[in-house]
Amino acid sequence: MAETKPAPGDWIGASLLRREDARFLIGKGQFVADIRLPGLEDACFVRSPMGHASLRGLRRPAEWAERVYTHDELGPFQALPAGPDIPGYRNVAYPVLATDRVCFAGQPIAAVVAPTRGEAEDIAGLVELDLDALPAVTDAVLAMAPDSPRIHDAWPDNAFITSGARAGDAAAVAATAPVRITRRLRMNRQSIVPLEGRAALAYWDHRLDELVVYLSTQGAHVMRLGIAQALGISEHKVHVIAPDVGGGFGGKNRLTPEEIAVCALALKRGHPVRWIEDRREHLMAAPQAREHVYDLTLYADRDGTMLALEGDVYIDAGAYPLWPTGAFAEASMAVRNLTGPYRIRHIALRNHTVATNKPPMGPYRGVARPGACFAMERLADELARELGLEPIEIRRRNMVTAGEMPYVTAAGMRLDNGDYPASLDEAARSIGLDAIRARQRTGEPDGRRIGVGFAFYTEQSGHGLKEWARRGARVMPSYETCTVRMLPDGSAQVLVGIQNHGQGLETTLSQIAAQELRLDPARIAVRHGDTAVSPFGFGTFASRSTVFAGGAVARSCRILAEKIRRIGGHLIQTDPVETRLEDGHVVGPSGAAVSFAEIGRAAHVRQEMMPPGVDPVLEATATYEPADSSGTFSYSTHAALVAVDPLTGGTELLDYVVAEDCGTMVNPLIVDGQVTGGVIQGIGTALYEEVPYDESGQPLATTFADYHMPCATEMPRVRISHFVTPSAITEYGIKGMGEGGAIAPPAAIANALADAFRDSGAQFNETPCTPRRVVAALEAAEVPT
Amino acid sequence: MKPPAFDYARPATLPEAFAALLGTEGAMALGGGQSLLPMLGLRVAAPSLLVDLARLPGLREVTETAARIRIGAGVTHAAIEDGVVADPSRGMLRRVAAGIAYRAVRNFGTIGGAVALADPAADWPACLLALDAVAIIAGPDGERRLPLEALLLGAYTTALEAGEILLGFDVPRLGAASRWGWCKLARKQGAYADSIGAVVLPGDGAPPRIVLGATTSRPALLPHAAAALARGEAGATLRDALLGDIEAAEPDADSYRRRCHLATVQRAIAQATSA
Amino acid sequence: MTRINLTLNGRAQHREVEPRQTLADFLRDGCDLTGTHLGCEHGACGACTVLIDGLPARSCIHLAVRADGCDVRSIEGLRDDPLTVLLRRHFHEAHALQCGYCTPGMLVTARDILRRFPAPDEATIRRELAGQICRCTGYVGIVEAIRRAGAELANQPS
Repeated sequence: MAETKPAPGDWIGASLLRREDARFLIGKGQFVADIRLPGLEDACFVRSPMGHASLRGLRRPAEWAERVYTHDELGPFQALPAGPDIPGYRNVAYPVLATDRVCFAGQPIAAVVAPTRGEAEDIAGLVELDLDALPAVTDAVLAMAPDSPRIHDAWPDNAFITSGARAGDAAAVAATAPVRITRRLRMNRQSIVPLEGRAALAYWDHRLDELVVYLSTQGAHVMRLGIAQALGISEHKVHVIAPDVGGGFGGKNRLTPEEIAVCALALKRGHPVRWIEDRREHLMAAPQAREHVYDLTLYADRDGTMLALEGDVYIDAGAYPLWPTGAFAEASMAVRNLTGPYRIRHIALRNHTVATNKPPMGPYRGVARPGACFAMERLADELARELGLEPIEIRRRNMVTAGEMPYVTAAGMRLDNGDYPASLDEAARSIGLDAIRARQRTGEPDGRRIGVGFAFYTEQSGHGLKEWARRGARVMPSYETCTVRMLPDGSAQVLVGIQNHGQGLETTLSQIAAQELRLDPARIAVRHGDTAVSPFGFGTFASRSTVFAGGAVARSCRILAEKIRRIGGHLIQTDPVETRLEDGHVVGPSGAAVSFAEIGRAAHVRQEMMPPGVDPVLEATATYEPADSSGTFSYSTHAALVAVDPLTGGTELLDYVVAEDCGTMVNPLIVDGQVTGGVIQGIGTALYEEVPYDESGQPLATTFADYHMPCATEMPRVRISHFVTPSAITEYGIKGMGEGGAIAPPAAIANALADAFRDSGAQFNETPCTPRRVVAALEAAEVPT
Repeated sequence: MKPPAFDYARPATLPEAFAALLGTEGAMALGGGQSLLPMLGLRVAAPSLLVDLARLPGLREVTETAARIRIGAGVTHAAIEDGVVADPSRGMLRRVAAGIAYRAVRNFGTIGGAVALADPAADWPACLLALDAVAIIAGPDGERRLPLEALLLGAYTTALEAGEILLGFDVPRLGAASRWGWCKLARKQGAYADSIGAVVLPGDGAPPRIVLGATTSRPALLPHAAAALARGEAGATLRDALLGDIEAAEPDADSYRRRCHLATVQRAIAQATSA
Repeated sequence: MTRINLTLNGRAQHREVEPRQTLADFLRDGCDLTGTHLGCEHGACGACTVLIDGLPARSCIHLAVRADGCDVRSIEGLRDDPLTVLLRRHFHEAHALQCGYCTPGMLVTARDILRRFPAPDEATIRRELAGQICRCTGYVGIVEAIRRAGAELANQPS
């Protein structure tokens, strides 16, 4: 395995301890709910108690009438066109407050403002709603039946879009392929659950003549765009600040109605207003994730060669699209990633992005790929079982090898580099496959069954303009920006448009700046999360920030470094081209050196020391987009060892290993933290987390008593092996990796369950694999207790 | 998720507490609050007055006789877990206490509060029923004693009358020859139980007590299984008796629930009968 | 409003509170002690854990009126507490936090674990952490930090 030990003075590859930690460890992080302002009042929302209904009217308590706001009283709002700008995509507005129809339980209908949240809830509880229940649509597959109730009356069916991907001649292969594996696979709906929910605080700042919005978001600049547009205010009068953000995982990368409503309330009322989402609101009305159904057939030869993949993918997108990306990203990415690392040249895949009476689906760590990986990797294991092969053997036979790269998949993904089979072998070695097989033959003393499961995924990052244009994105996050500024004392500020919300980006970006400037990171501040501070950027999502913002930091620092050398060379009377940067100094070939402090002083306050023709001030701005628009691919094999109680269906994770390659690691400590953090969320998807809905559209998990997440007791110690294949298209060879950990666990764990009961052929094709579902699978396969 | 408005009283004597509970429409007693506060936040409970029992004399006391130990209703789960209070059960109470929710909840949640709420998934009702405990109840007209079977009527339903306060439990001391077993099944550590099996073998000639907890109603004694166990039955005979009792205790249980119940009771029995 | 007298982070306080106000809201809104975070408001996530008379408590399911006569300590009051100082260092070195939202409650709980279990092993730490939700780290760093702190304590001459 690659050991990353940077040379002295090199900061790329150093496991620097995080600079962010200090404030959180003393309770001095500053989240939106921590902001204190004079006159601040709390908002809450009157929400639909029904999954689908006509809204006939609303009666407010007379005593508090002026504290209750409906859509018409709070508006007007400009509609935000959300979703891709592509043919066949049906758009619909997600109203800030419902007007004549409610389409999911929890949808906001009216806003209430009061001095405290408790009082606001008192008033909300007195508002009477006149609702006529409509039949609810809660299953994306049934929703596509011709006689299904409609959610959006103007549409001919319930699909936002029906699309697909084709390559080769799947029908011809299907006619002759000797082996076919047909399965329905289902990944159920879950919540995203950052520990800090959504939060917004807004007020008009009369001195600056602008609306100040504190927002718990993953991208302040893009949210400003949306808020200004929705409210019809000029962008220069909207100032968005994302202070510390208590987790996002994708869900806070969308502008939601409650956040727009808070801004409108602040304008109407003339005092600061905040809304702090509580946990029940989060579980009912925040963006949700994951709900996919796959009806697939995999065709193969008798030797296990995968030939073709055909079928349908249903995405339960919820009632409305979220701004800016809309409802299609899941379906598009699921289909394009479905074949994973395998040489399958024939595909015929249809996808259906379906509206249902549930909250909108948003992006969540891994976006679409946990479902795609689950579907493909379960099929791979079922093929292995059908042919009597080891699951890793079926993968070896079909995986793209290093020698074949770059390899363009049937769905058009350009897998750039790496050694996929090596990662598979390492995971098998690390989990101890041979010893597990021996142990399985012996049996467990407690009567449980053990099983080992593998799953492989690739994770695209750094994709640029052409890729986003192909997707029809209305906001194309194909670059990032950085301004680097050196101050008169030689310390530096790095101003970026990404949003650190747990990823340690203040630390990693300081390391990149330190690398380029040859300056101790302790002398470099990283600032983000404020539209008034940093140049425009898109924020942190899609495993993009270290690739994009890291690249922008590197580029801007190089521009600055050149100027520093020019000034420094002048001060030590040396040709700048002969100088180098070293430990905060410009050093000449003779050893003569001048510190950045002296250079900063010259550039700012002692201009007479500057070389002729060089402007004062040390500041540079640069944007960055990787060299190839198709992106670069991290990859990983996960392996899980489970023990299952055949009587109760209880599943314990005994071991979990990851063999991953994310190219060059800027900070290996943080990389491991991101991998492990992703894995536990994937374990949640695999075994615990689910928001089920009943037939009327009522959510059945609205507190943590019903919505289970893995805690320390349920989590094994994750063991990680690293490979390092630097990307050829990014600065330093970095590949994005923040999401990856969450992609493979559902597949690896379901495969482990199937392995534990391989003899009986019990099927584990639905997540989360709750004890109840495991028992159902065992009973269907007639596994004795 | 903020509690609705209510008044608050913290009586110093039992008569004051009775008066507060009976004198105000919609008054509720507040024990440790670890279940009531979430219900207030969710606004599924809306009392006009909360009568805080925390400062009532005697509720945290533990008194011992040769045959029984009386545990005050206000004793916390953590105090039992830590062995701070005398244990009549040769370790069963401590074991049960340690598995309730989380330490920060156990520090304030009380044994009396848990029984009075009668949440079907709660641990103490099943445990105290298996231990053949008797509840001591105080009301305006004096004290009365009710065996757990008579106190627990159903999900969230007890025989406590309006204005009555649970003072504590008399728990018989288990003898040196006694054995017990406890098995709780939950989705994860600290979560509400899906099933509880509790077994006490008094070892003094008294019959075994086998309890199934976390049913959809109240915890149930399993009489046929207990009789089979007393006869020394094991294997299929005991299992059949168990399945019959489980059917009676939770007639609507589906296959999964039956499996859970079978597992917890079987494992509790195995624990109690193992060497 | 009800009058309460309590010791808060070592200082006597005399306050008026509404009966319905939770201790968490009292600390955050009444005392501006915003280090106590709300993650669920129903006692399940542990982010709001503080000490009442030395015992970890979920301040979101504890009424402020009940803190009358109590000694309450929040993360702000543990700034110089030797055990917390030790834990803080190990949390930093073991990468035991990411977004930082769960961290104050996690530290209060970790401190209690070390007080009850000298040099706890991994299984003990995991069991005792069960009620603390961290959505970011996967607990690996947290468990390791507590283990290291416990081991360091055990090796110190008392």
